[in-house]
Amino acid sequence: MNAVIDTSATVPARLEGEFKTLLAKTFSSEPEWLKEKRKAAFDSFCKASLPTRKNEEYKYTDVKKVFSGEFTSVYNEAHKLSLDFEKLFVEKNSVKLIFVNGWLHKDSTLSAKLPKGVIVGNLATDGLLIHSGFLKKYLRNDGDTLSRLNAALWTDGAFIYIPENVQLETPIEILHISTGKKEILASFRHLIVAGKNSSVSVIENNISVDLHSHVIVNFHTDIFSGEDSKIQFYRLQNDCKMVSQITSINVLQEKNSRFDTNTITLGRAWARNNLNIALNGENCESHLNGLFITNGNDHVDNHTFIRHNKPNCRSNQLYKGILDGRSTGIFNGKIFVERDAQKTNAYQSSKNILLSDAAAINTKPQLEIYADDVKCSHGSTTGQLNEEAMFYLRSRGLSEDSARNLLLFAFAGDVIEKIQNEPLKIYLEELISQRLRK
Amino acid sequence: MAEKNDILEKQISSDYKYGFTSDIDMDTAPMGLSEDIVRFISKKKNEPEWMLEFRLKAYRHWLKMEEPHEWAHLEYPKINYQNIIFYAAPKQKKELASLDEVDPELLKTFEKLGISLEEQKRLSGVQSTIAVDAVIDSVSVKTTFKEVLAEKGIIFCSFSEAVQEHPELIKKYMGSVVPYSDNYFAALNSAVFTDGSFCYIPKGVRCPMELSTYFRINTAGTGQFERTLIVADEGAYVSYLEGCTAPRRDENQLHAAVVEIVAHKNGEVKYSTVQNWYPGDKNGKGGIYNFVTKRGICREENSKISWTQVETGSAITWKYPSVILKGDNSVGEFYSVAVTNNHQQADTGTKMLHIGKNTRSTIVSKGISAGCSNNAYRGLVRVAKGAKNARNFSQCDSLLMGDKCGAHTFPYIEIKDKTAVVEHEATTSKIGEDQLFYCQQRGIDKEKAIGLIVNGYCREVFNQLPMEFAVEAQKLLAVSLEGSVG
Repeated sequence: MNAVIDTSATVPARLEGEFKTLLAKTFSSEPEWLKEKRKAAFDSFCKASLPTRKNEEYKYTDVKKVFSGEFTSVYNEAHKLSLDFEKLFVEKNSVKLIFVNGWLHKDSTLSAKLPKGVIVGNLATDGLLIHSGFLKKYLRNDGDTLSRLNAALWTDGAFIYIPENVQLETPIEILHISTGKKEILASFRHLIVAGKNSSVSVIENNISVDLHSHVIVNFHTDIFSGEDSKIQFYRLQNDCKMVSQITSINVLQEKNSRFDTNTITLGRAWARNNLNIALNGENCESHLNGLFITNGNDHVDNHTFIRHNKPNCRSNQLYKGILDGRSTGIFNGKIFVERDAQKTNAYQSSKNILLSDAAAINTKPQLEIYADDVKCSHGSTTGQLNEEAMFYLRSRGLSEDSARNLLLFAFAGDVIEKIQNEPLKIYLEELISQRLRK
Repeated sequence: MAEKNDILEKQISSDYKYGFTSDIDMDTAPMGLSEDIVRFISKKKNEPEWMLEFRLKAYRHWLKMEEPHEWAHLEYPKINYQNIIFYAAPKQKKELASLDEVDPELLKTFEKLGISLEEQKRLSGVQSTIAVDAVIDSVSVKTTFKEVLAEKGIIFCSFSEAVQEHPELIKKYMGSVVPYSDNYFAALNSAVFTDGSFCYIPKGVRCPMELSTYFRINTAGTGQFERTLIVADEGAYVSYLEGCTAPRRDENQLHAAVVEIVAHKNGEVKYSTVQNWYPGDKNGKGGIYNFVTKRGICREENSKISWTQVETGSAITWKYPSVILKGDNSVGEFYSVAVTNNHQQADTGTKMLHIGKNTRSTIVSKGISAGCSNNAYRGLVRVAKGAKNARNFSQCDSLLMGDKCGAHTFPYIEIKDKTAVVEHEATTSKIGEDQLFYCQQRGIDKEKAIGLIVNGYCREVFNQLPMEFAVEAQKLLAVSLEGSVG
């Protein structure tokens, strides 16, 4: 067993010994450049430490609280899972990757018939053993301090490469399961690279199963979207009891590319979702959508940052929240328009419904604009269900509950509408109506 | 293109119109800040013991605080507080009985600024006019119309006078809205404030005229630390105006004022500002640092506080006039036009804190950035738990003129009550080509067309200003933006 962990020490100090153990054992066979990278990332995390609430970007989310337990990041236990996986995947024919606590559990990548040149696998084996040179080029240490912690400690994750001119029709589904008895910090990392004129759709589902202790999952995803490429990334956080998720996605978009993402958080969650999009070429398009339905002590913080670096780009954000119980929801988004990024068209919208007196919503939609020929706007509303609409439905014979659920479903529907994957849409609609009935 | 350059040239070379110094003998404190200086100021002003205690408490607290540099969208060098003269009073030999005895040099200054006391005096008794509490560098020189107001029981005097004559009111209200520990600059002000205005409207009185103070920063290197306190008792109403201009200076001047407003049951206070301090030259050298704490509280039911501001001056503006909506059915309003040009920086907005039931607030903010300036709106709308049926509507529009400036919007919305209805809307754009085209096609030249469009853009706010100010504000806007768009 591990020695008693001193929870009063700072998080960097607590992790220092563990990081050394990881380097000596788990990461020992890794190439030198990667070890150096990890060390550099760890040093820079130690310098900055965890963000505090004094940090404007973390004003409403207390990360320290999440890290206050007796967690460890040195672990790799085999778990036997008795699960009905069918139910957890959207499509039968998709390429599937299953991870447990940040480690690969099993995948169906070998049996899937993928077009020539396409790589779908995991970072630790497929990536490091076969495509080490490729990873050297694309693995980065940037992002905020929690991303750098991930860069130091990541164990595994999905590795997806789509070569030029390949349109991958089969979606890729990633299932991440948190389980076990130990309080752990799991560091999980994806790398997605889409070449020129390619397209890919990724669905990630996060659940907790048979979990007896608090788990921190620190996710980081790097996405490189080449010229004329189209990437869809759907993240589902469902039934993540006792899991604290910190996720960040860094996207670099080149000319004429389009990136779509939906973050759907359906409760029983503590989640902080960072989305950092850099529009580095002309005519890029970005669509960021999010929906959270919270209850109990849930805490969901959606944080977006879109950087318009080049002219003629469009970005669109729609975030909706339905809050019940004692839950807290946060939307903190920023549109940043560089001096050169003329003819930018950017929109940001955050709409929320509070169902209980103990729930709270904090929104901070921001515009920071340095170019003059732009159209940028944002809107934020918070309110309740329309009484007239309720009355109309009641007068048609609907019970109060079903009228309420119908209206809430329609409210959530705006976000689901944006999803381009039909089976996923149907899957989510079912989940949401189940969730609202509770 | 040639025409564009002409217009730009004209704008860039247009100098600050009100840059001049008047020669009046000053009685100044030694440079720097220490407990002794605080005692010096207090002694100079012949203050009672409790006042000195308040100042010292604030000073000791201030020592423990840090100058804020983190969160605001502003950049400024660390201020050396030991390089500032904290007290400068015009030397006066005797009490002034009439306007004729006022230093003629001073009167000339006011004339240059376009508001002459004599004019005011001449106009007295004619319809509703403005009562001016003239403040030159920290000490109130002359308060006009005092007698007229006294008849109604209205107290309108300098802050130091109020400390002497109405200590019970000052003790009761000072620091009740902005405590000395509120923020760095409020603490500094509480320690070293020199003068300001005090206004008390008794129960059921509707103030018959617009009250106004006039600030000028005069002695080179003197920071001005004003303190204003306005109290509207039950059912009282007052409209209060504040205007500012300052002479041109090379080094930065610090202005850290505190304004407190208290509105009791059914009371209403309308506070309007036109601010045109020296913004620095076209290279961003010099100019006023305007770090102001303004806050009002609607203490009891049905009270109302309304802020209207037109900000065109100052090198740096850091200002968030706020309303605490504590009483049930109380109303808070904020209307703002902020114009920045050259190298000016502004981080301004409001805070609406809903605590009582059925409270309402409206925020309308119009930002215009030109030149190399940065203009940010930063506002907070907070609905506390139990603030039933709170309603807020915010609209923040930004207009960009030129490709070197920046316009930013940072709203904070925090809601803890399910019955709240809160809406926020913001847009950023430039002057529409089609609007310009339409005007020009009707034979209106470009410059005038821009003026027309910008004035229309700000109309919602100008409509809130008292007549006298609305005219001045429109002129100011025209001067500030002359030809800044090609």
